[in-house]
Amino acid sequence: MSDIAAVATGWGLTFVVVATYALWVVGRGKTIGRELGIGKRQVLGPGSDSSTPASS
Amino acid sequence: MSQIPDSKHMTATLGTRILGSVAVAAVLLMTLLGLVVSPEDLVQGHAVRMLYLHVPSIWIAYAAFVLTAASSVLFLIRSRSRADGGRHHDRLAGSAAEVGVLFAGITLVTGMLWGRVTWGTYWQWDARLTTTVLLFVTYLGYLALRRLPADPIVRGRRSAVMALISFVNVPIVHFSVDWWRTLHQKASLSVGRRPEITGEMYWTLLYSTLTVTVVASWLIVHRYRVIRLEELRDEEALNALIASRLREDDVGN
Repeated sequence: MSDIAAVATGWGLTFVVVATYALWVVGRGKTIGRELGIGKRQVLGPGSDSSTPASS
Repeated sequence: MSQIPDSKHMTATLGTRILGSVAVAAVLLMTLLGLVVSPEDLVQGHAVRMLYLHVPSIWIAYAAFVLTAASSVLFLIRSRSRADGGRHHDRLAGSAAEVGVLFAGITLVTGMLWGRVTWGTYWQWDARLTTTVLLFVTYLGYLALRRLPADPIVRGRRSAVMALISFVNVPIVHFSVDWWRTLHQKASLSVGRRPEITGEMYWTLLYSTLTVTVVASWLIVHRYRVIRLEELRDEEALNALIASRLREDDVGN
């Protein structure tokens, strides 16, 4: 393996792994937020307001 | 009655959005510095560019495992006295360990690729490499232990003890190159010792370390918030189950 191929593989794999993990974390937050009803305006009691999106 | 989810339960806030934007911009600059601006090494050629991923990754893994150990100690001390059972510390320990494992894995992979070019082999069972893979595996075990079904406080205590046992290996990994004769070179940057590198390579390495720290911080904050959401979901499911059982009992009577 040449030095350029090793560098390209190392940097590429690192970006893919970190980006995939970051997307998984954000996606999981959104999914569970939806399950809990975060992001929908709910009439659950006086003063309750959950209209902010779960994640972005 | 179930707890009403509100804005404090979100995974993204203005602060994390700013941190995320800074992280993305910092990574772009790090790529430019590491792959374009920083010069080739006289001996290693382009392979030296692995330095800018390999060293910051293990630094972040160390830092994350220190955070896991400190949070685990606080959890063990305070879990009985705090109203939330010390779950804040448990969540912090879990999220930091997960990010630490991610970067320890990156350290191993980038190290293997770098070793193939400079040593002619992907792997040698020398002290540094062996202790690092042991570190990775023990923290994987810690993450597996956290997933075992149990009462949250009991699971938190078991995990905290496991985190402290696993942490014993962190200084062994770091000092292994000083304590034993290894194929691996000594630390490129070390407190109280002249750096092994200078000039653009030195500054690029420092900048890369700062960038990876920002990225890891963003990941830990988000993962912490997701763990809190998972706990809320589990509590809601349990409350719904109890309410359902109570209704069945009422109908039966």
